[in-house]
Amino acid sequence: MWLGFILLALAMTSIYLFFVSTPLQAVLPWLSPLLAIASLAIILIGLRRAQTQPVTYGGKAAGWTLTVLSSLVLLFGILFFFVSRHIPAAGSAPQVGQKAPDFTLPDSNGHSVSLAQLVSGADQRARPKAVLVVFYRGYW
Amino acid sequence: MAISVDPPGVSRELAQKVGFTFPLLCDPEAEVVHRYHLGHPGGGPEGREIARPAEFLIDSSGTVRWVNFTEDIRVRARAQEMVAAANTLK
Repeated sequence: MWLGFILLALAMTSIYLFFVSTPLQAVLPWLSPLLAIASLAIILIGLRRAQTQPVTYGGKAAGWTLTVLSSLVLLFGILFFFVSRHIPAAGSAPQVGQKAPDFTLPDSNGHSVSLAQLVSGADQRARPKAVLVVFYRGYW
Repeated sequence: MAISVDPPGVSRELAQKVGFTFPLLCDPEAEVVHRYHLGHPGGGPEGREIARPAEFLIDSSGTVRWVNFTEDIRVRARAQEMVAAANTLK
């Protein structure tokens, strides 16, 4: 029973590993559900044992408490998994080989910056090889 | 360079805190986000529109040379990937 709970905790912690840049980043979203399924199985076995052999396994009430607690944590984990994958497709966004639409926007100091100006290196000494444009979700 | 819907004040604080040296552009009305078809309506607090995460490598002629559109907000392009993509350009 405890093993299941620890494994579930591990599954939930693995969710937060995303903020650490690891080479395994792309595999991690699938690691948490796998750990969660394993922990669910162990918890259910634990619950059964706590009901049939309450003296050896810490009592019926403790078994149910831990199961309910684990279910709540699991529910939150499932919700987080789907929310983080619920993003619109980028099918009509510019693709490789297409022209990137130009734009001018204020930077964090209020100065206007345009894509054309950046790629031509107008404000630098050398013309850059390329410009990396990253769209963030914002709301930090 | 990075773009988000945050106002300049918020972006300036972030850039100072984290030590960003690249321009952090502000698109509060999500205009450029729309021009790039990257809108995520209701993705922000109180149902506000934000950008779905995306990374573009644009060469000096303004042509897209590399893109990354994640399927999971927790998985983004890693710095090494982007440097590798830039190094393939002449």
